[in-house]
Amino acid sequence: MRNQKFIFRKFIEIFTIFFIILTVLFFLFRLAPGDPVSKMVDPTLTPEDTQHMIEQLGLDKPAHIQYFIYVKNFFSGNLGRSFHYGEPVSTIIMDKLPCTVLLFTTSTLLAAFAGVFLGKIAAWSKGSGLDNFLSISALVCHTLFIPWFALLLLWILAYKVGWFPLGGIISPELWIDDASVFMKAIDVVHHMLLPLATLFFIHLGSYLLLMRSSMLSVLREDYIITARAKGLSEKVIRNKHAAKNAALPVITSVGLSLAFSINGGALTEQIFTWPGIGRELIFAVSNNDYPLAQACFLLIAAVVLIANLVVDLLYAYLDPRIRY
Amino acid sequence: MRKNHYIMRFQKGWKIFIKNPLGKTGLFILFVFLIMAFASFFVPHIGPMYDPMTGTDPNIKVSTYPSLSHWLGTDNVGRDLFAQLLEGAKVAFIVGLSSAFISIVIGTAIGMISGYAGGIIDILLMRIADIIMVMPSLVILLILASIFGQFNIWIIVFIIAILRWPAVSRIIRSQTLSLKHRPFIEASRVAGASNIRIIFRHIMPNVLPLAFLYMTFRVTSAILVEAALSFLGFGDPSQVSWGMMLQWVWKTGHMFQAPYWLIPPGVCISLLTLAFYMLGRAMDEVLDPRLRKEGQA
Repeated sequence: MRNQKFIFRKFIEIFTIFFIILTVLFFLFRLAPGDPVSKMVDPTLTPEDTQHMIEQLGLDKPAHIQYFIYVKNFFSGNLGRSFHYGEPVSTIIMDKLPCTVLLFTTSTLLAAFAGVFLGKIAAWSKGSGLDNFLSISALVCHTLFIPWFALLLLWILAYKVGWFPLGGIISPELWIDDASVFMKAIDVVHHMLLPLATLFFIHLGSYLLLMRSSMLSVLREDYIITARAKGLSEKVIRNKHAAKNAALPVITSVGLSLAFSINGGALTEQIFTWPGIGRELIFAVSNNDYPLAQACFLLIAAVVLIANLVVDLLYAYLDPRIRY
Repeated sequence: MRKNHYIMRFQKGWKIFIKNPLGKTGLFILFVFLIMAFASFFVPHIGPMYDPMTGTDPNIKVSTYPSLSHWLGTDNVGRDLFAQLLEGAKVAFIVGLSSAFISIVIGTAIGMISGYAGGIIDILLMRIADIIMVMPSLVILLILASIFGQFNIWIIVFIIAILRWPAVSRIIRSQTLSLKHRPFIEASRVAGASNIRIIFRHIMPNVLPLAFLYMTFRVTSAILVEAALSFLGFGDPSQVSWGMMLQWVWKTGHMFQAPYWLIPPGVCISLLTLAFYMLGRAMDEVLDPRLRKEGQA
């Protein structure tokens, strides 16, 4: 019962926040210098089509009516037409979203698992050579500049050695020739490895360091002494008792560092020309394709909010002390 | 009497700080970059050829490898890369430090007010902080660039600062909360001090070390975001920052042919960020006695 109330409240919260963001964006857009019509409507449309778009977006009406049309449009899935593609924005976004999700979730999960595992080992053997090595490598990984690291990987592994493609998600030849599903899957994975590696190493650093410090403070707790007194083996203590509790902050940090991950993800997508939402946003901004840019931004904002909700719920589920 | 007390605390902290290997390394790297940044003021005086933005060597028209007259080589229009690197150091420090400073001014003020006032103000401010904190800064800067066009470097600094104060305010707030109930605060309340006076005269000196600690993290964040923004092409085109250098090497297609152009800016960004981070961690140890290794005071 109480859980349901908690979840419900959280839902209302993120919905409100999203609404606020939507509204703020609207106001910023109207505050900007320049003509809103040329920003929202494709300049290459014929006069009749332009007029039709203006009416549809309500640009000829007073501000408050325009706001209602804006909100209504958004929730009915009408996000405008992209200038560059000439297609409805929602179609474009639905196309690109799976790519981003694929890259993102894989890299985050891999980095989180590896980070927890290595952080656990590092904390357990604190002060040793292994710990120092892991800690320093993690520190370096954490502060690498993503575009530079990505370019370096691209240069060495794709350009010089030729092990990996220079970008994109597929090799068109393979797909036009209608190869088997297995070959297609391998192709995608082959293209995904470099961007995956980039994101993996960057995030591994922070997760490792976090797990390590979390583990160190858990190891100081009383129940570890009790476990030792009970005669449990070191391995059991480390894995079953210490690591499980130490991993909790790492899970919340996945949610909190989502902002950082999204920034990094967009940069990585851009460099490896991975056709995802991040790259689409950058592309739209460079080309003054405002409807597309706005939609990408709102999508990212929604994802951030939902992810935070999920992390909150997950944390509440895992740690019974904080349900309220 | 008061002055001596602060100096003593600083000296004590310094001793601990300087023993820490992270602190030593971080400080050393920072020092090197500071020298670079100051050097950038003198470089144009060597000759107009060496100006990072406008200087072109009359003999060189394409990107060249390092040589005696150009220590890091030249970019594709003949500008000296080392001069650009030095200029980038200057920009990095200016952007990082000013953005971080604005961040902690706002964050400390809001954190103290929130922690001290409590109640509805606290809840409201912290909600706002939560929302801002989870927003990806680069994405926000991108959409703002889409609406408002190209940005001046100071606007970038300011926006980064606005997006980053929440992290500071949370820490300051919890510190304020723990200080709020200390006897000396009660005493000054009884003595009739106004709330504002209590906050700024009594609480602030105790939270400032923490604020400066978090300033180091803000600096790293600001430098990275500005570099990323410049790399994507939305930075201030009148500033030569390391991110800009990377953008140029990428956009002109030289990234695979010119390692002397590609590698240095990235190394510098990472090293400077690393240095500030190390500095922050070492300061962390100074401020939090529990983190110190056994055997230290």
